Amino acid sequence: MLLLAKAALGLGAFVAVAGAYVFHEGVIRVDVDESRGDCNHVHFWVPATVVPVALHVVPRQQLERAASQARPFLPVLREVSKELRRYPNAELVDVRNSEEHVHISVRDAHLYIDAVSNGDNIHVSLPVETISDVADRLESVAPGV
Amino acid sequence: MHHVRGFLGFAAATLLAGCVILPAPSVAQTASKSDQWIHVRVENKDDNGETVRVNVPIEMAEKVLPAINHDQLQNGKVRLDHCHMNDVDLRALLDAVRSSRDGEYVTVQSNENDVRVAKNAGYLYIHVTEKKPGENAGKHAAAKQGSSKAFVGKESRVEIKIPMKVVDALFSAGKDELDVVAALRALSSNGDTELVSVKDDENTVHIWIDSKNVSD
Repeated sequence: MLLLAKAALGLGAFVAVAGAYVFHEGVIRVDVDESRGDCNHVHFWVPATVVPVALHVVPRQQLERAASQARPFLPVLREVSKELRRYPNAELVDVRNSEEHVHISVRDAHLYIDAVSNGDNIHVSLPVETISDVADRLESVAPGV
Repeated sequence: MHHVRGFLGFAAATLLAGCVILPAPSVAQTASKSDQWIHVRVENKDDNGETVRVNVPIEMAEKVLPAINHDQLQNGKVRLDHCHMNDVDLRALLDAVRSSRDGEYVTVQSNENDVRVAKNAGYLYIHVTEKKPGENAGKHAAAKQGSSKAFVGKESRVEIKIPMKVVDALFSAGKDELDVVAALRALSSNGDTELVSVKDDENTVHIWIDSKNVSD
């Protein structure tokens, strides 16, 4: 009985630590609601910790191709992600008219991009740290940037 | 004894989980209070009523600009096209303004434009009022006040106020180059400033600097 309790305690602690580690960088959230055409609805949450792991799993050839396409923007991406970490809460861009509204902000070290247009809604949020991770990984396979 | 060991194990696991679960914001560096933000607000008065608000930390712009190399913008400097300078030596012009006393340098008043360039208390002021003949307003004005006032119908007003040290920094790069990064650095040390205000019938543009991270 005592052995079982110890095993349960160990398993519980492991789950707690694993869960805490998986979510410690935050969550990437994507919500897309289309009211026109096929009326697509896409909603998913992914722990941001998955991204660096996934980038190591992606075939190098594919990553190199992505890096070469993103090459002109990598220095900007690197600097923006580095600087955004210094501003955990900021309203960066807000564009609105009678039909559309685009809002880009940083809250609690997460970058939020919200776009609403004629009934279509797109909401994306991701930790700033994740942008850094992606920039670092792409740079590592695209040296000389 | 077993209870104590079990409790210690649970406490250690909880502590470890607590350390790992600490959210990113708590370890993120925070901006210092002295950070200055450049704000741009553009309001369009047409039926669509578009409003654009952009807020950028100056320090961030300083770091990001050199990473953008596109056309005339290279390493945070804008290369001026010599052909479009109309043989005006901007540097000599600036030196003349810098070494001169405060006062009004240019005042032009006409039926079409009013232009005023002045220097006062370390700031360079450029005010331009363009008077456009409005269709209805022009007719009304002409009917009421005579033809010379007909241009008052529609007008656009541009007001620019730049600290002289920013102008110096802007032209510090060399001939035919504007050092935008140096100008931003000078701006951030200047404190709250109204930089540009443009008003006409269709748009209002407002650019200013303060320490708030949201526009009003």
